[in-house]
Amino acid sequence: MRGQAKLSLFFISAIFACFSFGQEPQHFYNVDKEIKVEGTIQKIIMEPRYKNTAPFLILVLEKKDTQQRYNIEVSPVWFFDHDFHKGENVVVIGSLYSTKEKTQNIIAREMRFRGETLVLRDKHGFPNWRGGPMKKRGGRKGKRF
Amino acid sequence: MIKKNYLLFFYMPLLGIVIIFFVLSNFNRNYIRKKVEHLVKEQLQATAEILKVNISHFLEENNPAREILDRYSQEENIYYIAMIDENKEILGWSSRFDGYLPLSLENIEKENSWIIDSPAGKIFNLFSSFSIGNEKTYYLYLGYSLKDLDAMVSHSRQSFFIIFGFIFVIGIIFFMGLYQLQSHYLEKKREAEEEKKEKERYREISAFTSGVAHEIKNPLNSLSLLFELFQKRVPQELREDVTLGKKEIQKVTGIINQFADSLKPLKLNKEKFLLEDLVLSVLDSLKKEVAPAGVETKYSQNVRVVLNADRALMSQVFINILKNSLEATETGDIQIQANQQRKKVLITVKDTGKGISDEDRKRIFDPFFSRKKKGIGIGLYLTKKIIEAHEGKIDVQSEIEQGTTFFIQMPGG
Repeated sequence: MRGQAKLSLFFISAIFACFSFGQEPQHFYNVDKEIKVEGTIQKIIMEPRYKNTAPFLILVLEKKDTQQRYNIEVSPVWFFDHDFHKGENVVVIGSLYSTKEKTQNIIAREMRFRGETLVLRDKHGFPNWRGGPMKKRGGRKGKRF
Repeated sequence: MIKKNYLLFFYMPLLGIVIIFFVLSNFNRNYIRKKVEHLVKEQLQATAEILKVNISHFLEENNPAREILDRYSQEENIYYIAMIDENKEILGWSSRFDGYLPLSLENIEKENSWIIDSPAGKIFNLFSSFSIGNEKTYYLYLGYSLKDLDAMVSHSRQSFFIIFGFIFVIGIIFFMGLYQLQSHYLEKKREAEEEKKEKERYREISAFTSGVAHEIKNPLNSLSLLFELFQKRVPQELREDVTLGKKEIQKVTGIINQFADSLKPLKLNKEKFLLEDLVLSVLDSLKKEVAPAGVETKYSQNVRVVLNADRALMSQVFINILKNSLEATETGDIQIQANQQRKKVLITVKDTGKGISDEDRKRIFDPFFSRKKKGIGIGLYLTKKIIEAHEGKIDVQSEIEQGTTFFIQMPGG
């Protein structure tokens, strides 16, 4: 039984040996670590976040009262069709995690700016660009309220 | 009444069937879903056990957790997988949906399995512990796609709606039919009750009228005899008045006899005779009495029609109908046509007379209904009675100034 399992594992391993995400163990939408942050946009960058996905839109946000900086992971660039500007005020609800370099990161679930609310993930962190409700309604980018 | 019947015989049974189907179907679907979920759970737990054994091997060989999980990340039905140490710290994870790992480590205490609904469909979640040789405890968190179950549920829902629609349509047809039958039955019942009441009323009137006629006839007979005596003994100059008086008494006696005859139940003395002979003899006798000069009478038939009926009564029928037609027609013709069709004889009597109004047509067979100056309105009533006694039917169609047609249907032939 153990031998058979090893053999099947070897087969599976041979197929998927090439995959590697390379992300931090804490880099997932942790429902236990949801926070709400309000701050101003300091920088807008684009970088890959997950394996085999398009670059993500990342906002560097500075919290108003503490000047703490957060990297806000918004969504793949192709999904987001709003313009951000440096110095704009944004409220973010999302899951917080820290990297080894002690950088504070937030995976955004909901964002409020210019009087609009954009829903990017559901309450468990399921991304709308991966078949969530918005995707099913014709791929509309972000949910406005 | 109609609303109540609709409620009782259409809406309520239909609604009842639909509700029963809905409830039973829901129970059944829930039961099957629970059973399937249970089976799936058992199967996935067994799969997870194999996975845990394999992961244990890799851990024993000091492979990093992230690399180990990557090996399973592309497995078709695994949506996400994570390895957690005994301090509930995530050692590594992999998810098909960009950071989606719907696990709350704060709320989970021990081994558990549950199913969640996600935008990607139902996901079976398993959180279970395993140990490796150095006695360290790890937890494996696994999200397994239940898309087959979703497909089954969706198919079941589809089937439910198709069957539901089918039952609904069949139910509408069935209960509409039931309602129609019930309405028809009620209508017939109402007609039968009305007919019964009418017969009862007629019987009472008949009894009363027969009694009155009987009581009047005796004094009239005495009066008639008295006038006979007067006629012989009165002076010559008064004899003519007495004769007139005697005739009037005879006229009253005649009317009373007609009344009495119409009230008697009919006794049929059936015999076979040619319809043509009967009609022609009636026409002969009527022509002498009432036929206007400009009116022609024609008799035609498709075969030689033989009737098995009471000849005297049928003669009365044709006298009544043809007399009416002759009296109503000043010029033109009266056509009597007889057709034998299978076991029926259809006779039409068509005149080109002044016609009858719709209002009068509806009452034409009622007793004592007449628009004629002379006549007491029992001729056509008796005609209908005689034909119905032979299990036949009579109807009339008419147009003012166009003429009238009587339709008689007799059995046999």
